[in-house]
Amino acid sequence: MSSSLTGTPVASPAAASRRGGRAALALLPFAILIGAFLLVPTVVLAWGSFHDSATGALTLGNYSYLGHPLDLVPFVNSLELSLGATFLGSVVGLLIAQAIVSSRSQLVQEIATTFSSVAANFAGVPLAFAFIATMGNSGLLTVLLRNNGVDIYGGGFKLYSVVGLIIVYAYWEIPLMVLVMLPPLRAMKASWREAAENLGASRWQYLRRVAVPILATPFISSMLLLYANAFGAYATAYGLTTGFVALVPIQISNLINGDIAYDPGQADALAVGLAVIMAVCIGGRALLERRSTRWLAR
Amino acid sequence: MANDPILARIDELSGAFTTGQIDRRRFLKGLVGLGLTLPAINVIVAACSSAATPSQGVAGASADPALAALISAAKAEGDLYQTGIPPEWVNYQGIFDLWKQLYNIPIDGTSTEGEYSSGQELDSIKNTGKPDVGDVGISFAVQAKTQGLSAPYKNSFWADIPDTAKDADGYWCCNYWGAQSFVVNTDAVKIPINDWKDLLDPSLKNAVGIDGDPTKANDSFFAVWSAAVGNGGGVDNIQPGIDFMNQLQQAGNLTAARASDTNIISGEVKVAIKWDYLGLAVRDKAAGAPNISVTIPSSGSLASPYADIVAAKAPHPNAAKLWQELIYSDAAQLLFLKGYAHPIRFDVLNSAGKIPADLAAKLPSADLYKKVTLVTDVGKITAAQTTLGNGWKIVINS
Repeated sequence: MSSSLTGTPVASPAAASRRGGRAALALLPFAILIGAFLLVPTVVLAWGSFHDSATGALTLGNYSYLGHPLDLVPFVNSLELSLGATFLGSVVGLLIAQAIVSSRSQLVQEIATTFSSVAANFAGVPLAFAFIATMGNSGLLTVLLRNNGVDIYGGGFKLYSVVGLIIVYAYWEIPLMVLVMLPPLRAMKASWREAAENLGASRWQYLRRVAVPILATPFISSMLLLYANAFGAYATAYGLTTGFVALVPIQISNLINGDIAYDPGQADALAVGLAVIMAVCIGGRALLERRSTRWLAR
Repeated sequence: MANDPILARIDELSGAFTTGQIDRRRFLKGLVGLGLTLPAINVIVAACSSAATPSQGVAGASADPALAALISAAKAEGDLYQTGIPPEWVNYQGIFDLWKQLYNIPIDGTSTEGEYSSGQELDSIKNTGKPDVGDVGISFAVQAKTQGLSAPYKNSFWADIPDTAKDADGYWCCNYWGAQSFVVNTDAVKIPINDWKDLLDPSLKNAVGIDGDPTKANDSFFAVWSAAVGNGGGVDNIQPGIDFMNQLQQAGNLTAARASDTNIISGEVKVAIKWDYLGLAVRDKAAGAPNISVTIPSSGSLASPYADIVAAKAPHPNAAKLWQELIYSDAAQLLFLKGYAHPIRFDVLNSAGKIPADLAAKLPSADLYKKVTLVTDVGKITAAQTTLGNGWKIVINS
């Protein structure tokens, strides 16, 4: 143990286990939370996905969607939407975050950070309406552009489409990226750059050899967060398109709420598909995070 | 036979009445108390009246003796408990006011259960036993009968009501309906929209909307189904409606923006396919900004009715029956029409010239409504929903 090597008094095994017990006790509320809201629902979902909703018999039938091209369209749409929103959100968000960090004005930094916190949480039906009023068929911006000779709808743009949804999702994805990238950008020490310059590195060499390797991990893990965020979002998309753009979360809701397509077993199977994608994203983020915190903590 | 004691009691009452042992009022009260319907009572009374001395000053100032008896029986119960009848819906407030003005009997349940959905209404009837009357969607009316939650009662206007709009045994009766209509923003749409094919016009890019996801919302479900009527299908076949919507989608005319009040008024949806009563209400709400016109497709559309039920265990059975008498009366039916719901006796009132000209002027023409088909067959509704569930995926995913 490293503590004994650096000279800290060694705890007796009994005291250590007592402390361990107390620590475990302190973790209990968290464990209950995770158990009740993550583990139990996941198990219930997985269980339900292998059982027929009507008869309760064990079945693989709920996963038949994997073999139907039409039933995979929601997955394709969701993937396109999430990738698009993630790309737009992370690139623009990173540039803004860097601009905030580089800004010498304390006021600009504070205003930008506060705005980002607010905007990152502005989602759902109100956001959908805000965009309808701005970029809908007869939205303010659409009409303004049309009056000036630019007809965005004539050019094939539609707010009620995957492309439209990407723009809407970017509204909260960009500030979210700003918020999560500010700490690592601020943690970049001026002394690293000075050290590199003293050793004769050019600006480009500093970026390539020092800044990018350190920032790559927080950046990629932030992208994964954005991606998972976009993949699971429901209310905004539904408020905007009332189901016309088929997405996985909307499809799940149809199967559990709809009067017509009611089939909770199949909804469970779709949710498991969604959960697998989410787990890969979040797991990937956790792996990368472990690498980057090693650097940034110093 | 279960009816034997009732028949015996009718004989007894008739005998007592014709021989002058009881007066007319007590005779009628006795008949009402047996749970007879008004037409039946009228027949009995007419048969006995020739022999009896006419009584004076029947309460309720009604010319109809049986109705007068029902009124006094309802007044004696002193209350009407309703479920799922919201005052702001189809002008029910006007009918509540009329009820209070005519009979001065309190109406309970409005604040607690007034906003109940049809399913909640049936739950309340089953579990609390409080409600006397409810206003439910047609499939729930049928369900109430099969579950034994409603009681049979045939109102005095029974003959006016189309056979498809009433239960043969009297367990439910449709009181009003809405038909799918075109709600057109005439400031933005310069071509006349009279029939389904007009919606395919190239000038209507991203302009045509329905009210929600048809696999979830009744309004848009009926919009798709009604499109079948104008395109070679109908009540028995929704598929041409789905195909037509797909055609609209391929033409780029169908918008995903929901045909909500906000989106219609803002011009986001320029032609909405939705219930006529909702369209007429949004027209009034917009008040010329923009100008909105509501029309019924000339090749026809579908209508979905609401039905009234009397609870099987109504604590105030006579008040419940009196409520039925009221809502089918000319006065209340016109109040529904004022609330833009299409009253079930519309044709009767119309051919008798009882619809005020100023009210008629606010509505699509009565002739267009002749092409509207009332959908009351629950089996066909389920079949259409199943077809739509599979077909709609193609419309949105292709």
